[in-house]
Amino acid sequence: MDDSEYTRAKRRRARNLKLWLAFLLAPPAAILIIFVFLPMASAVVYSLYDWNGLVRKEFIGLDNFADILFNPNKNVILFNAFGNNVKVFVTLMIVQNGIALVLALLLARNPRGFRFYQVVFFLPVILSTVIIGFQWKMFLNPIFGLVNKALHYAGLSEWALPWLGLPETALPSMLLVNSWHWFGFPTLVFLAAIHRIPKDFIEAARLDGASEWRIAREIIWPLIAPAVTIIVVLTFIGSFNWFEIPYIMNGLEGSPQGSTDMLGLLFYRTAFGSVSAGGSDFGSGSALAVLMFIFIFIFSIIATKYLTSREVEMS
Amino acid sequence: MKNHLTKAVIAATALSIAAPAFAQTELSFWSWRQEDVAAYGEIIAAFEAENPEISVTYTAHEAKAYNTILTTALAGGSGPDIIHTRAYGSLENISSAGYLEPLDGQVDLSLLSADELLGTTLRADGHVYAVPFASQTVVVYYNMDIFDAQGITAPDTWDEFLAVSQQLKDAGITPLANGTADGWTVEIMSGAFMPNFYGSEFFGDVTSGATTFEDPRYVTALGKMAELAPFMPVGFEGVDYATMKALFNSGAAAMFVGGSWEINGFREAGVNIGMMPGPSAEAGSERMVATWMDGGYAVNAASENKEAALAFIRFTATTPFAQMLTDKLNNIAAVDGAMSSNPDLQQVANFHSAATPYIMLVAFRFDKPTGSSLLQDGLQQLMTGSKTAEEVAADVTAGIAAAE
Amino acid sequence: MANIELRGVSKQFGDVKVIKNVSLTVEDNEFVVFVGPSGCGKSTLLRLIAGLEDLTKGEIHIDNARIDHLAPAARGLAMVFQSYALYPHFTVAQNMGYALRVAKEDKASIDKKVRAAADILQLTDYLDRKPKALSGGQRQRVAIGRAIVRNPKVFLFDEPLSNLDAKLRVAMRIELTKLHRTLNATMVYVTHDQVEAMTMADKIVVLRDGMVEQIGAPLDLYNAPDNRFVAGFIGSPAMNFFAGKVEGFVEGGIEISLTEGAPLTFPCTGSGLSIGDAVDFGVRPEHFCIGQGADGTLKGEVYAVERLGGETYLYLSSSSQKELVVHMSGDHQVAVGDHVEIGFSIAQSHLFGPDGQSVR
Repeated sequence: MDDSEYTRAKRRRARNLKLWLAFLLAPPAAILIIFVFLPMASAVVYSLYDWNGLVRKEFIGLDNFADILFNPNKNVILFNAFGNNVKVFVTLMIVQNGIALVLALLLARNPRGFRFYQVVFFLPVILSTVIIGFQWKMFLNPIFGLVNKALHYAGLSEWALPWLGLPETALPSMLLVNSWHWFGFPTLVFLAAIHRIPKDFIEAARLDGASEWRIAREIIWPLIAPAVTIIVVLTFIGSFNWFEIPYIMNGLEGSPQGSTDMLGLLFYRTAFGSVSAGGSDFGSGSALAVLMFIFIFIFSIIATKYLTSREVEMS
Repeated sequence: MKNHLTKAVIAATALSIAAPAFAQTELSFWSWRQEDVAAYGEIIAAFEAENPEISVTYTAHEAKAYNTILTTALAGGSGPDIIHTRAYGSLENISSAGYLEPLDGQVDLSLLSADELLGTTLRADGHVYAVPFASQTVVVYYNMDIFDAQGITAPDTWDEFLAVSQQLKDAGITPLANGTADGWTVEIMSGAFMPNFYGSEFFGDVTSGATTFEDPRYVTALGKMAELAPFMPVGFEGVDYATMKALFNSGAAAMFVGGSWEINGFREAGVNIGMMPGPSAEAGSERMVATWMDGGYAVNAASENKEAALAFIRFTATTPFAQMLTDKLNNIAAVDGAMSSNPDLQQVANFHSAATPYIMLVAFRFDKPTGSSLLQDGLQQLMTGSKTAEEVAADVTAGIAAAE
Repeated sequence: MANIELRGVSKQFGDVKVIKNVSLTVEDNEFVVFVGPSGCGKSTLLRLIAGLEDLTKGEIHIDNARIDHLAPAARGLAMVFQSYALYPHFTVAQNMGYALRVAKEDKASIDKKVRAAADILQLTDYLDRKPKALSGGQRQRVAIGRAIVRNPKVFLFDEPLSNLDAKLRVAMRIELTKLHRTLNATMVYVTHDQVEAMTMADKIVVLRDGMVEQIGAPLDLYNAPDNRFVAGFIGSPAMNFFAGKVEGFVEGGIEISLTEGAPLTFPCTGSGLSIGDAVDFGVRPEHFCIGQGADGTLKGEVYAVERLGGETYLYLSSSSQKELVVHMSGDHQVAVGDHVEIGFSIAQSHLFGPDGQSVR
């Protein structure tokens, strides 16, 4: 009798806990299903049909995929955009995250004005991408822009280029803007990771005679691996979904001459059409979206798996 | 034919009059013209005064998102009763999907020319799906104060144009405000200068397939565009539309190649503008302006108030409506019969005596890649000197041949 | 191998003076323990020697050469951290050999030295393991091994045993003492545990509030503490103190009265005290005996007893003293509530003046 009361109480407690968990987890799960998984699933369905603008016509299987991947008239544009996304990823990894790592290493040494730098570095991150895009578009204006004016004043007039107008400089300019916008975020993540490393490790290495560079490379770098994983994967996803900055700064067409074209812009143009590029094609657009999703998903998982394998627990 | 149509319309009208008066019908009317809300309010009021049983609500959406908003609504089976559509390829996108009510036979289109109706006719079935509302024209604006100060008169021929440009440049004034950062502005620029070199026959030849864009006439015209590069702003590759306007409005640049919709903006900025068509190839040869239809008024095929909506559309095809459009919106109405009291508009209207279709928009924006995106890329490369006219012509031709 | 000399060393963090004018010498091959309550500055002092903190004032010399301006690695020291600071991504062997790798020694030589150290510390079987796979004691030994491999002039230990359980701590204490003899090295050891200090040190430095309270051999500190703080800090359980007053002077001593019991005559020379001064009279728990004492007797009621068989602790309260600890060897049949008499002898007691200094 006593025993059954005991087991019943125990079971009741376990059930209450489960109910609570379900109660708390169900709403976000529902939102996720409705606003993420359903649209994704519908994109997959859309991609299997022929579309006339926004009207669905017959089922055509994987023809849309074959068309955007293998039709030589279309895949040059796709591969050009994809190549640009790769450039974005590589550059952001080196420039944006590289600068962030260096700054984090410097900040971790607790310099005078630490708080000030921390706030200043993070400030651009909280600004809206739209504002930053417009602001830098103005700064980079060949005639009225701050950048070229500064170059003129510095006596470097021949360096004053129409930054966003030349295919050679447009993408690098945007990448610098993006780096300027975001570097505070990886800096903060790296800094937090470095702060998590027990001070003793660094001091022990210093006593062992390791140079600051060696400490950074051999002690700090392996021990901030979890932060590196997060940043690499986020940068990867961000790079292949890059849209706002190129859209705001040089428009939907990836001007000039496709040098700033991105998969995201191409998707938008294909699915919804644009004034210059023509009408909307939901089928190809959906197929492109599905391909982008698959690519980003698979590579993110591979990258996460690989990067996580280098992580060590600090204890 | 026309007679039949008129009869049909009259019959239809008679029928509607004979029918018991409409109960109050509310029509929704979507547009991308946010700047025209007040003017449309007045125009609608005039319509409602004549048609007391109908009320129309005008909703203007954000211009860039309008196509998406509209097509999404239409695809979802909703959307407004009356649709302000764009023309050509954009119109084809929704008309071919069956969202629009064919108007021929239901609306008297006698006040519109065949060229004008081209913009709102679906090529596949030959039906007209919208009443064209206004045309746009590419002209060369020039700052008369600067021209006077430099002792320059508006040039007539290409050589004069280059000479004038050189004179302005020597005086430290940027001759042309145009840049190439926004591809569409380069295409506009080509619309001002190229037709006078490739001639009035070329449009028909290239659209019928009798020739391609590698035609020597077109290549020559392209080559002329490259000659303008020295007279464009320093760093023109990065000069976008906003910068172009700023240059011209501030008097830093003396000329601006643009569409007729710029008139109001320049007048409001206080620029003492003059307008001219692009210069003729040589003295005495033809001097044309490129024109196209900006869009039209259409009826949602799924509308529950189709009759009332058609009544409004019929109204848009009348001269009184065209007059209001001219007076209140400074548009060059497509429907005949309106006279503008605005000398600028009247001048642009006068240019139409020698007009040629704005080639890529009118005929090559139906397939992908569009002629516009091909030409825009090509012109950017041509102006920066990374490609020759022949190469650009070949690219455009190949792109259009491959388009589907 | 090396001696260390601190001359007027001071350290300030902002406005806080952590180390105040400390001078001391560590002789060659000496095992010196810095001991004191937490916050006394003992770890800071060690870190100043290591070079992990910069001096505010003063000089540090090793082997008569000034080193306080040198980088930590250039001082020829090795340090064992309280946390062991083993790099989690390195194996035991890599951890132990890191300093040598940094110094670009060749692989074979590194391997030899690591194996030799592993041999001494019985770590040979664990060389390929990561620290995560080791027990606390093994990690401790790896940390020591990392120091040994460098063959330093001086070993610095910062509370190295405080993360181990009691049994292991005793074992490691003995092992470290043995190691000190084997390596014949100068060692400086920081701890807050006076038992560690007493059992391991050749010389103890007692610190309080950034100042040296006393330096000496363990038993010197035990038998002749310089002041009331050292007397209370060294020895476990701590010394019992009784408040007293100077009543008068006699030949070769002073007369004091305690709140309880008969007045005493405490032998001393030149105390500097005057009549009426408040003094503290101290007797260690182990110096009490049950019954009448040779020089004095106190009475109290037992409120707690700890009988461990081999030794017995009594906790008493008397009319004048709330808490009084008595430590006796052997088992004693005393029960809570018993009234007992405890005695002491002057020879095994201590007297501290109003300034806390010993009266001798």
